[in-house]
Amino acid sequence: MLLLNNLEFKRSEKTIFENISFSANSGKIILLKGSNGSGKTTLIKTIINILEPTNGEVFWMGEKIKKNIFNFYKNTTFIMDKTTSAANLTIMENISFWKNLSLSKIKKDEVIRLLNILELTKYQNTKVMYLSMGEIKKLELTRLIIEKKKLWILDEPYNNLDSSSIEIISQTFADHADKKGIILLASHYEPNIKDLEIFNLN
Amino acid sequence: MQLINKIIIFFVKEFKISIKNLSDLFTNIVFFFLSIFIFIFSIGPDKQVLSTFGIGILWALLLLSSTLSLKKYYHDDFNNGSLIIMHMGGLSYEFIAILKIISHFIFVQLPFLITIPIASLFVNLPYSKIILLLISFFIGSLVLSCLGSIAASMNLLNKRNFTLSSLIVMVFSIPVIIFSVGLAQSQENILSLLNILFAILLIFISISPWTSAVCIRLALANS
Amino acid sequence: MLGFLINPNKFNKLTDIILKPLFYLTAVIFLIGLILIYYSPNDYQQGSTVRIMYIHVPSAWLALLTYSIMTIYSIFALAFRIPFGFIINSAVAPIGAVFTLVCLVSGSLWGKPMWGTWWVWDARLTSVAILFIVYLIIIFINYSFEKIEVKEKIIAIFVVIGSINLPIIKFSVDWWNTLHQPASISKLSSPSIDPSMLKPLIAMTLAFTFIGLIIAILRIKTEIILRKKSI
Repeated sequence: MLLLNNLEFKRSEKTIFENISFSANSGKIILLKGSNGSGKTTLIKTIINILEPTNGEVFWMGEKIKKNIFNFYKNTTFIMDKTTSAANLTIMENISFWKNLSLSKIKKDEVIRLLNILELTKYQNTKVMYLSMGEIKKLELTRLIIEKKKLWILDEPYNNLDSSSIEIISQTFADHADKKGIILLASHYEPNIKDLEIFNLN
Repeated sequence: MQLINKIIIFFVKEFKISIKNLSDLFTNIVFFFLSIFIFIFSIGPDKQVLSTFGIGILWALLLLSSTLSLKKYYHDDFNNGSLIIMHMGGLSYEFIAILKIISHFIFVQLPFLITIPIASLFVNLPYSKIILLLISFFIGSLVLSCLGSIAASMNLLNKRNFTLSSLIVMVFSIPVIIFSVGLAQSQENILSLLNILFAILLIFISISPWTSAVCIRLALANS
Repeated sequence: MLGFLINPNKFNKLTDIILKPLFYLTAVIFLIGLILIYYSPNDYQQGSTVRIMYIHVPSAWLALLTYSIMTIYSIFALAFRIPFGFIINSAVAPIGAVFTLVCLVSGSLWGKPMWGTWWVWDARLTSVAILFIVYLIIIFINYSFEKIEVKEKIIAIFVVIGSINLPIIKFSVDWWNTLHQPASISKLSSPSIDPSMLKPLIAMTLAFTFIGLIIAILRIKTEIILRKKSI
């Protein structure tokens, strides 16, 4: 499904990464592992087409993503190390923005159940700026469920999370893989998920 | 249909955010009025002088006040990654820039339009000139929104010297100022000045989405 | 053949050979220009103040030439990804700024005895003053971004948009009836300037162009070295 062919990225003559090829088919969870500065974030940005690779191609469903970028985006949820929630909107307002932007048909009670699991229900109508870092991160991760996309690409999803939330997130990943989804993680933390495929960047 | 939905969602979000930041907008408007007062204190309250210089003063101060809000243009969306999310939601950067220009025009510039009749009382403008001033400001502020989009997107990665964006807006706004003030002050050739103003507007409308999109891409790639 | 125009290495090689002869040539032309100015006649109206022209006109010509070169290089650099264009931009902008300033100051000194005022808000003066501010903004952009890859592209974009100003400057005296005298040299049919004045003017223009060229070459070389270091 997702195929990286001989990807290479140079920033002003300095090679960040080169010769990266792997494919991710349905039901796979791939962990991009590497120390700080090994180019995890750069690789993810290249896959998502924010950066242009100096060499190589990324394919989605057998098509070059550059040719049909919006088709690729239609199937992708991208979680950055930043939080994309608007600080002075409430949790529900942020969620409704994401929901409508991705044209997802998620139901209201499903959202409530999701917030319940992540222990965010009592903050429903609180502005995001009053939440703690961990809570904002959890809110960010609800996008995975809300947008209902096939491919999940996550950059450092475990930052700022407590152990119980990590447990929940790992469980969610496993469920998504069972439902023929694809997950691409970049993290220096190695989560406890079975069938985890590790791709080492160093 | 989906696109229209997304546009509506975008404006709903912008509207909510600007409602919650209403005090920022009022600060800008108070800045506008206070600077009018200071102008009048410094050149003296002579009614004759004020009515000749009034339109020029109003336009210059409107320009200055509108450059105050440049930092709000793309910065919040850029810093928290909403630009990427919107792009991945199916909107190209050019289209995001167009939407941003329109929303800046509606939520930042139009409130000034409402205050202009009040402001023109202070500088003793005759009634017929107020309408011309409103027309010229309506077109001119759309140009200013376009310029603001260019300047703000250029300075997304500029962390030290943000005054630069105001300079960029002011340099390119010179023809707008000349022809807008000319339009508001003229008696006869209103139509030809209006045509020139429209031409400037069309030029900047056609330039600014592309330029902003290039700058946004550049900033995202290097952040 | 013209590879030195876009390739830093070829540029370095060529300019290493060319720089010294160019220096002597410039000195000779400059000297000839000064002698010619000394023996040039006074204007029947302006007296000897007309000699300010021999600084004013060449620096104005260079201010515009520098910006045109920057515009062309910016377009090429952005469209065809030629990084040398970005080097040119950041190296050449201060030169253009200085020549614009010389043009403004000498014009102002010329204006005082002739028009009786240091400054008038005439179309050409205003547009040249704006050109000066545009140059300054380019220099400010150069100093306010941390990353070279960002600032060079932003400068190029700004230069291209700012080039709207060029035709306005060039044709302002023809479009609007102004105090500034219309072009007297570049008229296609016959120049409306006396040959005894035209000769020193041409010499000085050549000399100024070569001085600008030498400084530009030195600055571009420095810029190339600086970039190699920072990478």
